[in-house]
Amino acid sequence: MQATIAFPAMQVVDRLVAECHRFEVSAIDPDIAGQLASELPLEDFVRIVRTFEDDLGRLARQLEAAVASGDQDGYRRAAHSLAGAAAAVGARRLEHVARLGMDHRAQVDPRTIALHVQHEARAALAELAALADNPPGAF
Amino acid sequence: MPGAAARVLIVEDTPTQAEVARALLRDLGHEIRVAETGTAAVEQTLAWRPDAILMDIELPDFSGFEAMRRLRAAGIETAIIVVTAHGSVNHAVEAMREGAVDFIVKPYAKTRLTVTLQNALEKRALATELREVKAQLSRDRFFGFIGASPAMQAVYRTIESVAASRANVFITGESGTGKELAAEAVHRASPRRAGPFIALNCGAIPRDLLESEIFGHVKGAFSGATENRPGAARMADGGTLFLDEIGELPLDMQVKLLRFVQTGSFQPVGASRPEKVDVRFVSATNRDPWAEVEAGRFREDLYYRLYVVPVEMPPLRARGADVALVARHFLAAFAKEEGKRFRAFTREAEAALMAYPWPGNVRQLQNVIRNIVVLHEGERVEAAMLPPMLLRTGSGRAPVSMPMAAPPAPPPPPVAAPPAAWVSARLEPTAWPEPVEEVPPPAMARRPEPEPEAPPPAPWAPPARIEDFLPLAEVEKRYILAALDQVAQDVPRAASVLRINPSTIYRKLQAWRAEEGTG
Repeated sequence: MQATIAFPAMQVVDRLVAECHRFEVSAIDPDIAGQLASELPLEDFVRIVRTFEDDLGRLARQLEAAVASGDQDGYRRAAHSLAGAAAAVGARRLEHVARLGMDHRAQVDPRTIALHVQHEARAALAELAALADNPPGAF
Repeated sequence: MPGAAARVLIVEDTPTQAEVARALLRDLGHEIRVAETGTAAVEQTLAWRPDAILMDIELPDFSGFEAMRRLRAAGIETAIIVVTAHGSVNHAVEAMREGAVDFIVKPYAKTRLTVTLQNALEKRALATELREVKAQLSRDRFFGFIGASPAMQAVYRTIESVAASRANVFITGESGTGKELAAEAVHRASPRRAGPFIALNCGAIPRDLLESEIFGHVKGAFSGATENRPGAARMADGGTLFLDEIGELPLDMQVKLLRFVQTGSFQPVGASRPEKVDVRFVSATNRDPWAEVEAGRFREDLYYRLYVVPVEMPPLRARGADVALVARHFLAAFAKEEGKRFRAFTREAEAALMAYPWPGNVRQLQNVIRNIVVLHEGERVEAAMLPPMLLRTGSGRAPVSMPMAAPPAPPPPPVAAPPAAWVSARLEPTAWPEPVEEVPPPAMARRPEPEPEAPPPAPWAPPARIEDFLPLAEVEKRYILAALDQVAQDVPRAASVLRINPSTIYRKLQAWRAEEGTG
């Protein structure tokens, strides 16, 4: 489906991410990701992180393709799935960015969203990998 | 189900979410599958029948609520837990309205998820158990039986309880209460159901053939034994041997049967070696078996071998509303069989059926309904279509005769030269019999002794002179009436003997009655 996407409030995400960085909010929620890392066997946690990585790659491509083709529905579906995947592992910054993409009232530039998704996905994966290497309770 | 491995379907289109749920539930030992779309969720549920579903709401093809509606329409009663990222009251309300047992918001902690799932499984298990108990308490069908009365529920429970064991079963009850049906139910509910069910009516077999019928014989064992023939014992190997009217078994045969029951071995007539089989015994009698023991007509040791689990079949008069239930069943079945339009009873007719004590039990009721269906037309059975004795017993006084297609008749004269009045006398007033005033038999009344000394029937011979020949229709009429006399006017039995359909007899009786009316 081809549609014109308007994006007047393009600084919203930048501001949000900047605030996160200013207050040193980590890419992942330690309550959620930490709990998964501490409660599950390592192989299960690693499997979840790998599944998340696969999801990110697939959904980011879908998101970018939807942006390039102006497919509004495809764009929102990809953003929705990204938000769900991110929430499952506690990747809260990525989730927030994806939810902005889902919210048609925010009218954020999809290209900005796509860029920030890439950025936050890398940050979340890095922190999850670190968590897998050194789960809470380990010493 | 709680504590036991269950089937859990995770309906989730985001693999990360599904993997998290799967990992959090892994410790519980449940079998887990994942469906990524609403369509896949419905298909997998119908095919796999999970005990619980974790249902995401936002799915690629249609919503989780729509999937729930489709499952409910398909009669699926799986415990569904709605999983959503939106913790709004509206979502929770809609989830419950669509039949969810619980609601959980993503992301969830392991404890929250496992407790929610276990609660849902426990609730479902309790609901299932409750439904099964209710169904058992109110079931109106059990194998071949029709009846929802407490008396029949007790019979069903006993049969179910005993079926799985090897214990011998002894069924008592008045004639027509369904003793053979109970024996078949024991067999069909048992692990032997794939094996044979062999029924032997001990009262219907001539004494000198009993041993051969039960144990078989070898070629040359007696005159006429031209080949080896297996008996009921061999044929029932691996299954159930039903010995009906066991009280009619002569004492000498009881000794042989006792040995068979004790050892599982028997010796065919004329055989030099015993054979061993694996048989479960189900016996039945309409007598009081212990009274028979006390009277010396039934061996005490055989009694104890066979009378392990007693099943007492209640008389129809003790089954309350079952009378109407059974009557409606027969009405539907016979109407279909006879191509009639009957669908129901009028209130008066049903009340008359309920008030009558049915001394002949279900078999008598069956005959009455068959007769009504054959002789009348309409959509509803009116009270006027019932036999007069049913209408006269509203006070509850127990009449005792079986309803018959024609009144009890004097002993039949020779077929060749019956008195002219004989046929018309029995067809004249009505197709229904007058009640015979005699004391109704007690629950375990002794049957009339068989008459082994009765001479065998003489072979039929045609008239010696041509002028003595009768019209074929007249011969048929006399022959059918004679057969009815021989079986106490039991139309289905007479039909069986004559190898014709009972409806043929009913139609002919109706026609003859009409002839009498016009003649």
